[in-house]
Amino acid sequence: MTHKHDKSSAFSQGVLIFVYLAVLTAVEFFVAVKLNSIQIMLLIALVKAGLVMYYYMHIYKLNTSDEGDEHSYSFKSGTNRIGLWMFLLSDSFVFGGLLVMRFNLLGLTRPHLDQNLGLLVTAVLLISSFFMNRAETSIEHGDRKGFVTNIIITLILGIGFLLGVVAVEWPRAIEEGITASSNTVGAAFFMMTGMHAFHVLTGVIFLLIVLRNGAKGLYDKHSYPVEAAAVYWHFVDLVWIFFYPALYLIGVVAG
Amino acid sequence: MKKNTVGSGLLLLFVAGAIGYGLGLGFDALINGAPNFSGSTSAAFALLFAVSAFFFGLYGYRGITRGLVWQVVGTLAGGLFISGIRALMGYKFSEIFGSFFFSEPAWVFGALVGVISFLSGVGVMDDWMKWVRGIDTHDHHEDEPGWEKYFSVSLDHKVIGIQYTVTALVLISVGGLFALIFRTELAYSQLQFLTTTFKLFNQNGPQIYNSLMSLHGMIMIVSILLGVSGIINYVVPLLIGAHDMAFPRMNAFAYWIAVPASVLLLMSLVLGGFDTGWTGYPPLSARAPVGVQMFFLGVFTAGWSSILGALNVIATVIRMRAKGMNAMRMPIFVWAAIATSIIALTATQLIGLSFQLVMFQRLFGMGFFDPAKGGNPVLFQHLFWFYSHPAVYVFVLPGLGIISELLPVFARKPLFGYRWIAMSSLGIALVGFVVWAHHMFTSGMNEYLRVPFMYSTMLVAIPTGVKFFSWVATLWKGKIETPTPMLFVLGAIFVFLLGGITGPPNAMVALDLHLHDTYWVVGHFHDTIFGGFVFPFFASIYYWYPKATGRRMNEFWGKVHFWLMTPSFLILTFGMMYIGLLGMRRRIVDYDAALGFDPTHLVMTICAFGIALSVLIFFINFFHSMKNGEKAEGNVWNSRSPEWQVPSPMPAHNYEVPFEVVGEPYDYGLPGSKYVQFITPTKKK
Ligand code: HEM
Ligand SMILES: [Cu+2]
Repeated sequence: MTHKHDKSSAFSQGVLIFVYLAVLTAVEFFVAVKLNSIQIMLLIALVKAGLVMYYYMHIYKLNTSDEGDEHSYSFKSGTNRIGLWMFLLSDSFVFGGLLVMRFNLLGLTRPHLDQNLGLLVTAVLLISSFFMNRAETSIEHGDRKGFVTNIIITLILGIGFLLGVVAVEWPRAIEEGITASSNTVGAAFFMMTGMHAFHVLTGVIFLLIVLRNGAKGLYDKHSYPVEAAAVYWHFVDLVWIFFYPALYLIGVVAG
Repeated sequence: MKKNTVGSGLLLLFVAGAIGYGLGLGFDALINGAPNFSGSTSAAFALLFAVSAFFFGLYGYRGITRGLVWQVVGTLAGGLFISGIRALMGYKFSEIFGSFFFSEPAWVFGALVGVISFLSGVGVMDDWMKWVRGIDTHDHHEDEPGWEKYFSVSLDHKVIGIQYTVTALVLISVGGLFALIFRTELAYSQLQFLTTTFKLFNQNGPQIYNSLMSLHGMIMIVSILLGVSGIINYVVPLLIGAHDMAFPRMNAFAYWIAVPASVLLLMSLVLGGFDTGWTGYPPLSARAPVGVQMFFLGVFTAGWSSILGALNVIATVIRMRAKGMNAMRMPIFVWAAIATSIIALTATQLIGLSFQLVMFQRLFGMGFFDPAKGGNPVLFQHLFWFYSHPAVYVFVLPGLGIISELLPVFARKPLFGYRWIAMSSLGIALVGFVVWAHHMFTSGMNEYLRVPFMYSTMLVAIPTGVKFFSWVATLWKGKIETPTPMLFVLGAIFVFLLGGITGPPNAMVALDLHLHDTYWVVGHFHDTIFGGFVFPFFASIYYWYPKATGRRMNEFWGKVHFWLMTPSFLILTFGMMYIGLLGMRRRIVDYDAALGFDPTHLVMTICAFGIALSVLIFFINFFHSMKNGEKAEGNVWNSRSPEWQVPSPMPAHNYEVPFEVVGEPYDYGLPGSKYVQFITPTKKK
C-alpha cells in the first residue's frame, strides 16, 4: 500500500461521509413531503450512491490493483476485487429490473406504508454502513479488537433492519390489506423488499464468517476478505438508496 | 470389483429406470386409485433413477454420480418437506399429492434443494467451505489420468472446457432428437402419430408436440451457451498465455451447475410439459402444467453458469495476458469472448428475473403479469427480450470470432482490418442492448416505440457488415487451403450471410407485422444460429481437436459431414422461409392440406434427417479418432498462434516456458515475422 492514511483520519473521513449521507436522506424525505419532486429525489439518490461507491466501497481501488507480481497477495486481491465488482454490476441488473417492474406497474403511485418505520429502517441500515466502514478501517490498521466490536455492531444493526422489514413492516402491510396476491402494489412491494432482504441476509452470513475468522486473527495481515464483505454490505445499502424513495417517497399513495 | 463400463451403465440405466417406473406406478395407485402407465409420477421416478444409475455403472459412486444421487435425494427430501408442511397446515391429501406426485410448490422447492444438493454432492464447493472455516487450499490440483477426470470436479480450464463441450454435444443430440420427432409429425398435414389419443407423461399427442418444440428451443440455447463456454474455456487461456482462468473454482462451479440445470429441463417434459415455446410468455406460462416451473428453474440455474463463466473470462483477460500482449495484439477470438461475456454477465439477470416473476406469480399469486390484478403481460416481454435479444449475440459473437481467427490461418494472409473487427464485436454487443423491442412489434406495446426500435435494429447491420467485408478481403487473393475446419468456416460465412440478410426485413415494422410468428422467422434464426454458432463450433472442434488429444479427426469423414450437412441444412431453411412467406404459422402441430405445403414439409423432414445423419458421422469420427486418429503432435495447421508452438496434447499447467508477444498476430505470409517468442529462462530465481 503506498498511500495509507493513518487510522484517525480514515475514521474521521468515515464520520464525515456518514453525516453527508444522513443529511441528504433527511433532505430527501422533506423534498418528498413538501415538493414531491422526482428529479430532486433522483439527484439526491445519485449523489448518495456516488458517495457510498467512492468513500465506502473504494471503487478507485480497482485502478490500483496492479501492484505486486502475479503470485503476490496484493495482485490476487486485485483480481478478486475486479471479480467482485463485476458480480455487483451483474446483480445490479436484477435490482434495475425490479425498479423497471415497479414503475411500469405502479407508475407514480406507491403503497400505503408507515413513513416513520421506513425512515427508521433506512437510518438503521445507513448507520450499519458507518460501522462497517469502521470495522474495515480497524482491521486494515491491525486493530483486531476494534474490528470485532464494530462488526458486531454492524451485525446487530443489519439484523435489526432485516427484522424491521420482515417482522414488522410486512405484517403491518398485510394488516393494511397490502398482500402479495391482492394486487400489483402488494406484489411489487413484497418482491422488492423480499429480494433486498435476501441480499441483506446473505450479507449477514458473510459478516458472520468474516467475524469468526477475523476474531481468530486470520485477517491481521491479509484483510481482503473483510474488504470484500464491506463492499458487499455497502452495495446492499446502495440498493436501498434507490429502493427507499421508490417504495416510500415517490408518487401518491395508491387508493 | 468389476471395471465400470458404458455397458454396465446402460444395464443399470434400464434396471433402475424400470424400478423407478414401477415405484411411480405404485405411488400412482396409492394416490389416484389406479396406476397411470403414461403418467408423470412413474416417468419422473424413472428419469431420476435412470440418469443416476447410468453414471453409477459408468463411473462408480463419486464425482458426477454422487452429485446426481444427491440431487435425487435432495429433490425428494425437499418435496417431502413442503408436503409435510402443507399437511400440517391442514391441506387435504389430494392437494398434497396428485397426478404429478408432489404439488407444485413442493416440486419447485424440491428442485431447488436438488440443485444445491448436486453441487455439494459433486464436491465443487468443498474448497469454498474450507475457506469459510479459515482453511487454506492448494492452488494446483492433480487430476486423475485418462478419461476419468472428466467426470469429477477438475480445476483445469482445459478439462472444464472439454466437459462443457461434451455436455453441449450431448444436449445438442437431445434437442436434435426432439426436433426429429416433431419434424416427422409435420411431414404430412393432419396428425399421424402425435394424435389426440396418443398419451405420454400426462399429455396427449399435440401437447407432447408443444412440449418437445418448446424444449427443443431451450435445450438448444443452453447447449449453445455451454458450447460457447467450452471453446472459450479451452482456448482463451491458451491464446493469452495464462496458466489457468482467474477463478478456477468458480469456473468449475459454473460448469457443474449446468448439469442439474439440464436434469431440470428434462424433468419439465415428464412433469406435464408446457406449451409456451422457449419464450415462456405469460399468461400462457402462468397456466401451463407444473413442467413449466421446472423449465423456468432449469433456465434460471443455467443462467448462473453463463453469468459466472462470463465474469471469469473478463477477469482472466484483464489480468492474465502474456507479456507484451496489449489490447490491439490480442488474438481476435479473445475480443469476441470479451464482447460476449459483457452481455452474458449483465443481461442474463433479466431473463432470470422475468422467469422468477412468473414463478412467483404461480406460487404466491403475485399479479405481475395478471391483468386481473393490474399486472401487465407486455412487461414480461420487455424484461425477457432485454436478455434474449442480446443473447443471440452471445451465441454468434464467439462463432464470428472463430471465423476471423481461423480464416487467416487457411488463407495464409493477414486478417484484413484487425481493429475494425475487434471494435465491431464490441459494437454489436453494445447496439444489441437497445434493439430488444423488435420482437414485440405485434405485441401491443406502445406504438411510438416501434420506429426507434426499427432503426436501432437496422444499425446492427453495420458492424456485422464490417465483419463480412473483412472476411471477403482476407480471402481475396489468398492461397486458400480447405481442410475440414476451413470448410466449416467457409460454410459459416455463407450461412450467416443468409441469416444476416433475412434479419432486416423482420426489423421493418411494416413487413414484420406479416412475417411475425411465421416459418420465415424460424428460417431466419436457424440460418443465423447455424452460421454463427453451429458451423464455427464444428470448425473449432476439428481445429483444436489435435491440441487436446494429440491426434486429428479423420479428414474424409469430416468432409462427408460437411457435404452432407450443408446442403441438407440449406434446403431445410429455404423451405422454412418459402412456406413462411406463404403463410405457414410457427409453433403449430398441424396445417391445412389445402395450403399445399405438404411436399415442402416432406422435403424439409428428409433434410432434417440428413443433418442428423451427418452429426452422427461426426460423433463416430469424434470418438473413433481419440484412439485411432492420425498422430498430430506438431503445428498441424501451420499456425502462428502460441498454443501451436508447443507440442500437443497440451501439458496440464499449459506453457512450461512463458512467452512474450513480439509481433502482430495475423501477419501470415510476411517473411521472418513472428507473433510470440518463448522467454528463455535465464534469470530464474
Ligand atoms: C442483422 C442482424 C439481425 C436482424 C436485423 C434481426 C432481426 C430480427 C427480428 C426483427 C426478429 C423478430 C421477428 C419476429 O419475431 O417477428 C428476429 C427474430 C429472431 N432472431 Fe434475428 N436479427 C438479426 C440477427 C440475428 C442473429 C445473429 C441471431 C442469432 C444468433 C438471431 C436470432 C433470432 C431469433 C432466435 C429470433 C426469433 C426469436 C423468437 O421469436 O423465438 N437474429 N430477428
Ligand atoms: Cu432480436
